[in-house]
Amino acid sequence: MFPQIKSERLMKMKERILEILSEALPQIDFTASNALVDDGILDSISIVTLVTELSQEFGVVFDLEELAPENLNSIDAITETVTRLKNG
Amino acid sequence: MFTGAFDAAQFWDSLSMTFVSGFFLIFVAVIVVYYYAVKPQNQWIVVLVGSLIFCLVGGWQVLAYPVFIGIIVYCAAWVIEATDKKEKKKRKFFVAFSAVTLVAALSVIKLSQFFEWTTVNFIFPIGLSYYTFSAISYVADVYWRKDTAEKNYFKLLAFLIYFPKILQGPISRHRLLAPQMFKGQAFSYKNITFGAQLVLWGFFKKIVLADRLVTVVNTVFANHDNYGGAIIFVTAMLSAVQMYADFSGCMDIAAGISQMLGLELDKNFDHPFFSKTVAEFWRRWHISLGTWFKDYVYMPVAVSPKMIKFTNWIRTHIGKTVSRAISTIIPLAITWILTGLWHGTGMNYIVWGLYWGTLIILSALLSKKLEALSKALHINTESSSYKFFQMARTFSIVCVSRIIVTPGDLAVSGRMLGKIFTDLRPWELVDGYIYSLGLNSYEFNLALICIVILWVVDYLQTKIKIREKIAGWNVVFRSVFYSAAILGVLTFGLWGPAYDAASFVYINF
Repeated sequence: MFPQIKSERLMKMKERILEILSEALPQIDFTASNALVDDGILDSISIVTLVTELSQEFGVVFDLEELAPENLNSIDAITETVTRLKNG
Repeated sequence: MFTGAFDAAQFWDSLSMTFVSGFFLIFVAVIVVYYYAVKPQNQWIVVLVGSLIFCLVGGWQVLAYPVFIGIIVYCAAWVIEATDKKEKKKRKFFVAFSAVTLVAALSVIKLSQFFEWTTVNFIFPIGLSYYTFSAISYVADVYWRKDTAEKNYFKLLAFLIYFPKILQGPISRHRLLAPQMFKGQAFSYKNITFGAQLVLWGFFKKIVLADRLVTVVNTVFANHDNYGGAIIFVTAMLSAVQMYADFSGCMDIAAGISQMLGLELDKNFDHPFFSKTVAEFWRRWHISLGTWFKDYVYMPVAVSPKMIKFTNWIRTHIGKTVSRAISTIIPLAITWILTGLWHGTGMNYIVWGLYWGTLIILSALLSKKLEALSKALHINTESSSYKFFQMARTFSIVCVSRIIVTPGDLAVSGRMLGKIFTDLRPWELVDGYIYSLGLNSYEFNLALICIVILWVVDYLQTKIKIREKIAGWNVVFRSVFYSAAILGVLTFGLWGPAYDAASFVYINF
């Protein structure tokens, strides 16, 4: 795939994820930190909401290994994880 | 003429598995000397031998269970690691088999205590819940590839029965403790002195404060009909402090001994009485148990494909709001019922689990609404007075939980809670009656002073590194301070046969 198309798709995906998460977890500013889990902004209950919303929206299955902080610490990392799971 | 020949068997029988004894202090000193005398790569053998001796003091059963559990998880982890990642079913079978076997063994032994089964006479081994949970987390972490399987069974056993943590935890993770244990540690004067300070602080909490307060707590809870609601509530407060001083004191002794050996245990307490919400309290109280349930029960249940499928169905057929609520409620309810059962199998513990679970579920579901309400009422949630109110509210909730669980009979708990609202008798707090609860005025006031010391030190710990600060003092001040602290614990500590110092509150889990 051409890099430009790929990056546009990623951007759209990121926007969609941001939209879903901002609606489900309005108290969290997902763009404010690159250490959402490490800094305790995302606690276990928020992580479950995040996983449930994204699983339902994109039809992906999060294994527990996928819930490592590095996969959820920023909106970019979350987008990357969802994209990877979606592509199998 | 001297006739008292040393009787080794009698001496052995007189020993008990406790941190609060002269024998234990000598035992630790010997272990520390040997630990640094051998080559660093052999230090773990000193730890293993020391732990075996410590367990054998409690009887062969204390050792038999971890040896058996160790064999199961050693084999399971080895097979899981050797199995290709693609063979999911086989790997899953072994992790499930070992976890189910361990939980079943733990449940049968715990239930045998509850139902007082006479046909099967199980001996409850001290620390069973702690090392069982450590063992389960080890296999699960190998399954999730967060940890690697231990190749040497005796190293795994050394981790499981490591003597400072076998009595009351913390529930250590193999991947965090084992690398420290097996790499070898260089002697450090700082580790020895800082570790000894922590042990001394633990002794203060346990034998100066907790063992004093327990007299009042036992007197009032055993004779609750004699007291009004005010004394009952004050006793519930003292009970919460006693539980904290007892359990965290034991953790300080365990962490201090470990620091002397250059090892860092998982943190179990983080100033829980400064918590502003119930969820925060449980992130600061018995942390290793909370994170264990979060990692191995709550998260696996909450993000399991079946759960996602179920909430998705609710979302399609009922709506988003209900689906979100269900995805919060079910995993939290399961986790808290199991947490209650971990603490005990009586109805009081089940109610206790439901009490905490309900509060945490409600605070998770209503947090946004409460925030909006605070804004509408123009409440400054950042003010010191509001934060103090939040801490007092959380502490009161903890006190009520003590009344639910301590009497062991829910009808009694109900009557005691009822008295707080219907039969307060506040004058009993000021007319001297309070000095008849097992502690005279001197002892009672001494306990209150110790509570203030505990509170001040806890508060300072959140602001500065106290031990580093003291280490920077002039040698004369430092020596005077340490001598006074040791003398204080020796003078005011409740030693001797009249006091059952061995009974740490969390020892029977």
